[in-house]
Amino acid sequence: MKILHIAWKDTITRLRDRRAIIGFLLAPLVVAGLIGAAFGPAFRGERPLSDIPIFLVNEDTGEIGDIYAEVLSSPDLDGLFAVTESDDLAAARAAVESGDARAAVHIPADFSEDLLAAAQTAADVPVTVAVYTDPTASISPFIVSAVVERITLSVNTLMLSGQIGTNQALSHAALLGPALAELDSIVPQVIEAQAETAGQTSIGLTRLALGEEETDANPFSYFAPATAIFFLMFSMMDSTRSILQEETMGTLPRLITTPTPVSHILLGKIGGAFLTGILQFLVLVLASAVIFRLDWGNPLALAAVMLATVFAATSLGALISALARNETQAGILGSAITLVSAALGGTFAQASTLPAFMQPFSKMTINRWSLDAFLELTFGQADMAAIFPHLGVLLGMAAVFFFVALVLFQRRFVR
Amino acid sequence: MADPILRATGLSKRFGSQQAVKQVSFDIQPGEIFSLLGPNGAGKTTTISMLSGLLIPTEGDALIAGHSVTRQAAAVKQAIGVVPQEIALYPSISARENLAFWGRMYGLGGAHLKERIAATLEVAGLADRADDLVETFSGGMKRRINIAVGLLHQPQILFMDEPTVGNDPQSRRRILDTVKDLNRHGLAVLYTTHYMEEAEELSHRIGIIDNGELIALGTQAELTRTVGEFDTLHITVDREGDALDALCRHMEGVGEVSHCTTDNGGLLLQVKDANAALAGVVAGIAAQGARIRDIDIREPNLEAVFLHLTGRALRD
Ligand SMILES: Nc1ncnc2c1ncn2[C@@H]1O[C@H](COP(=O)(O)OP(=O)(O)OP(=O)(O)O)[C@@H](O)[C@H]1O
Ligand SMILES: [Mg+2]
Repeated sequence: MKILHIAWKDTITRLRDRRAIIGFLLAPLVVAGLIGAAFGPAFRGERPLSDIPIFLVNEDTGEIGDIYAEVLSSPDLDGLFAVTESDDLAAARAAVESGDARAAVHIPADFSEDLLAAAQTAADVPVTVAVYTDPTASISPFIVSAVVERITLSVNTLMLSGQIGTNQALSHAALLGPALAELDSIVPQVIEAQAETAGQTSIGLTRLALGEEETDANPFSYFAPATAIFFLMFSMMDSTRSILQEETMGTLPRLITTPTPVSHILLGKIGGAFLTGILQFLVLVLASAVIFRLDWGNPLALAAVMLATVFAATSLGALISALARNETQAGILGSAITLVSAALGGTFAQASTLPAFMQPFSKMTINRWSLDAFLELTFGQADMAAIFPHLGVLLGMAAVFFFVALVLFQRRFVR
Repeated sequence: MADPILRATGLSKRFGSQQAVKQVSFDIQPGEIFSLLGPNGAGKTTTISMLSGLLIPTEGDALIAGHSVTRQAAAVKQAIGVVPQEIALYPSISARENLAFWGRMYGLGGAHLKERIAATLEVAGLADRADDLVETFSGGMKRRINIAVGLLHQPQILFMDEPTVGNDPQSRRRILDTVKDLNRHGLAVLYTTHYMEEAEELSHRIGIIDNGELIALGTQAELTRTVGEFDTLHITVDREGDALDALCRHMEGVGEVSHCTTDNGGLLLQVKDANAALAGVVAGIAAQGARIRDIDIREPNLEAVFLHLTGRALRD
């Protein structure tokens, strides 16, 4: 009971603090909203952009590569892209890097050959179309990737259904007709399309994987959970730091003089932080679902990821407070760890784009495991089973941090 | 005599190499106000912290309401009310919410809690401000709520650690009257202070603590008797700092002066008989070229006791 009273006291105190509300709830919504505004038009299937400069390097000696060339400059796309065909990949990439083009699509020389061979032998040879994008551009790389992926999916489907074969004359536009007709609404449908085809054509998809990872990132479904985790970490550092704040305020020593076991006091404090975190996450998820019409996927699995993430973040905060000498040190340490975890864990840019040697560090962060789980749910439309590993890691981290923090605090407060 | 409500035996606390409290033993009877009088850093807060389960004694133990502080902390905590030296309240919630929260920490609830909140607000004289946030209160009002929290669960003994520090004379008066009033209703109080006047006014018995040691213990009359027939002359002169110290050294051995110490702008001279010594003292000061501004003869008091025992003034 006393645990709940302490947790509740902390929660209402925080909810009444207007500054804290801004930090906990409004700031993440505003940040998510800004990103949402930047990516919003694409998300709603509008097309405010045209003549996005892209390079197409089609080295394919076969015919399937032509499908890409044809579709990318098809009149159905209404001048969305300004395609420059080139046979110099290095120059194309340089153009992207210098900002002259937003993306370069590369189809390798033996693309058709490999693909058809793979289809006939049913061998699992990876065949790749690469999309090089300008990392500083915000929206256009996603559009290019989405379109290229859509084409890939269509090709994939045609291959599986046997409509593309060695001896068959290709009438690309006819074959791709249905897909092309939909191109206007391609971007918002990408996620859905993936979800639909993932199950049926999984074999085909491995044969024709796109080399560029960012293809499946609808910006908002990515940045909404990323932002939420980032701000959650901040507020959990804040809330658990209130243990040290109460130590300096004298209310913690006073609590210890009441007939309340120290373990209950700590559970109450950490529980209060946990409650705040759940509340914060819930508001962010609901708000972004309503305002940005974001589909968070399986609700039960979503709840599980939220609980596990908040538990892990709270426990990490408690551990940092328990290790720090005082409030100031805890503040500095907490912010540093929050920022580093965010950078490593994919808050600002996808973690998979980090260099290989950073990957193990990335996988040591709460952000990475939580975000990956959220992405499974939003993009993958996965169910509970798919996120068991993520939940396991998050809960494992949470349990370890929690118990170490509890032991350290106990020793610290009764000497 | 009844069993004491509190019996401390050989309480000691060491912080690293520093011995903050050394072998402190005393009893407090039910219904008694007991003061621990001592200068800054004497070990008053450390003693109270050990008695309230905040610090584990390095040595010794205490029985409160029959329970050991080291072995039955939970029972002890239910029996004591604690008023910390620093205000320990939540500023961003109201006085009533603070009382409700702390009451729950003592296991109170429901109608009984409401009743106790109303009663303690009455004691604090803040019933009309109950729903204002504590951060909007004056220092004195916060002090009063700080005390009210310690009374919520009707403890058998109340610990008050320098509750008047940093208060204006009016709030201070109010607090002292509250303590006396609570005591009249039978509450035992352990009161710490470095103000001699407070200890004199409130206490049935007084323990003088210095450097972690309890150097004297008894009623005010018993304590002042230990300085015997000594009087204290407080003389204000036109000297300060080093010049004052030099004058003080000169005065020791002049006439009947057995000891001299300085106290904010004046000399504190211990003499056998103030009236007999006065002429010699005045002449002695004049011989040093100093001018006297004020002379005050003090009957034996706790200040004199402290001076007598430690050779230092109680206030620094
Ligand atoms: N947590 C601690 N760690 C180390 N030393 C401490 C600690 N708490 C108190 N001390 C030391 O123990 C001695 C007694 O301190 P204490 O706070 O009990 O004195 P006090 O009589 O309450 O003084 P004051 O009138 O200033 O409140 C001091 O020298 C103090 O520096
Ligand atoms: Mg003190």
